[in-house]
Amino acid sequence: MTAIYKVSYVVRGGSHPGAILNEEKRPELGQRVKLGAQEFEVVEVVDLMPARGDFSFLHVTLQPPKK
Amino acid sequence: MKLSEILGQVELFDGLGRDELEQIAAICQEKSFRSGDVVTQQGDAGDELFVIWDGLVEVVHEVSPHDPAPRTVVNLGHGQVFGEMALVDYGPRSASIRVVSDAATVQAIHRDAFMRLCEDHNHLGFVVMRNIAADLSFKLRHQHLVGR
Repeated sequence: MTAIYKVSYVVRGGSHPGAILNEEKRPELGQRVKLGAQEFEVVEVVDLMPARGDFSFLHVTLQPPKK
Repeated sequence: MKLSEILGQVELFDGLGRDELEQIAAICQEKSFRSGDVVTQQGDAGDELFVIWDGLVEVVHEVSPHDPAPRTVVNLGHGQVFGEMALVDYGPRSASIRVVSDAATVQAIHRDAFMRLCEDHNHLGFVVMRNIAADLSFKLRHQHLVGR
């Protein structure tokens, strides 16, 4: 079975509340991520707790993309 | 893909065998919502747990019943669970859940059927309750990281 990444997205700056989602691929630094209609840039990826079964648990910090 | 196979990709059911996933699938009810629909209302009695199949919802908390500025705590998407607190502690809904994507599909699991299954099948009950605890822990860790 393929890995599943449960991600806690926290947005730095602004008023977006962040999100918790399952992703099929591990987010990478610099990658663009869409939360609803808004797009952000990944600036930090941290393993939040040890993987269990097929699941990895990540914390990802986002910020509005640089123009 | 069968519902039980898809349920195997949800953290809440991680660690369950094929037969156990079939038993969970048998008590799931699919529900669909549109953008802006309120799935659960803070303060209401709740007897269902929900697994998000598709779409994005926001978790909205009011400090008081007529709070003029309710706060969106977090958005939840594919594979996430809500409604688990009222399911296990029998209290009122702790927050409102509103659909923010164009549409959303969830699997609803009723408390009575769920508790019966957990009591009749100890391994299933232990695994799902452990996973509910882990999910609540993850949400708490997320909140600790907000505003860091």
